[in-house]
Amino acid sequence: MAILLAGLGTYAMRAVFIVALAKQRFPPLALHLLEYVGPAVMGGLVVAMLSTPEGAVEIGLPELAGLASAAFVAAKTRNQVWSLVTGMTIYWVLRALVG
Amino acid sequence: MKPTHTAVRQGIRDTFPLFVPAIPFSFVFGLVVANSGIAPLLGWSSTPIMFGGAAQVTLLTLLGQGASVAAATTAALVVTARHLLYSVTLAPRFQNQPRWFRWVGPYLLIDQVFALTLINRDQDPKVFRAYYLASGFTFWLLWMMATGVGLFVGPALPVEWGLKFSAPVMFIGILAVSVSSWEKVLVAGISAGLTVLFAGLPNKMGLLVASLMAICVALILELRKR
Repeated sequence: MAILLAGLGTYAMRAVFIVALAKQRFPPLALHLLEYVGPAVMGGLVVAMLSTPEGAVEIGLPELAGLASAAFVAAKTRNQVWSLVTGMTIYWVLRALVG
Repeated sequence: MKPTHTAVRQGIRDTFPLFVPAIPFSFVFGLVVANSGIAPLLGWSSTPIMFGGAAQVTLLTLLGQGASVAAATTAALVVTARHLLYSVTLAPRFQNQPRWFRWVGPYLLIDQVFALTLINRDQDPKVFRAYYLASGFTFWLLWMMATGVGLFVGPALPVEWGLKFSAPVMFIGILAVSVSSWEKVLVAGISAGLTVLFAGLPNKMGLLVASLMAICVALILELRKR
């Protein structure tokens, strides 16, 4: 029952604007603004993924170095696999060293 | 080869690395189902019905703790409220699509699929559709299987083995590729900083508040350019 309700709810949230704004003309400012939604949510999501449900943000040196190196490799090579491998390797190595 | 065929192959290929972080998550899912006391098959049914990892885990955790249907559902929806923003963002790109795709597409609109649409800005509607459906359904199929396996493996495994970190790494990689101006880097940074600040808000509300505030900063930046 709750699963069905939540399923309907998640679908509705994803569909609402795509379906409702199907014929609507977007003003240029709105279109420009929408360009920023992706970066804003992704930036926040990275941090949210590293925080506990209690609200503690678990970002130490291994995490920071892993994220920074992954972002650097991704920006330079535009290759997600290399970015992932680099970020994880640096994270694991530093975590083993720092403890 | 037709461009749509290339797009399908590309969509499938791009999905696999994104799925790596979802594997440990599917074990967490299995553990949550086991601890909740909900019948495994019923718990698993949330995968095809909801198709959203964090929302599923939130819902089943709360139900297992004896929360009411209304409370558990509300919390699960708040956790995934960022999908409202994905829906707005993609609305212009769904305008020149057939009606059926506007109804089917949102079902597949998870973080990872949205992220892929950020780096693949193909303007041709057919190519966009082929790519979107290919990556969405690949992820869907993998998530069906992984959560099924997770039901058995999750309860038997120790949770902490560091693979969870691959999720933020993956998303920061996509972010780094998709930001095309210093303003976007700034907005992403502000959003990340504010999420740290608001991390104490319940149900990951902080992410939503921080994103909205960062978008307000973007509005100011855009208005100043005019």
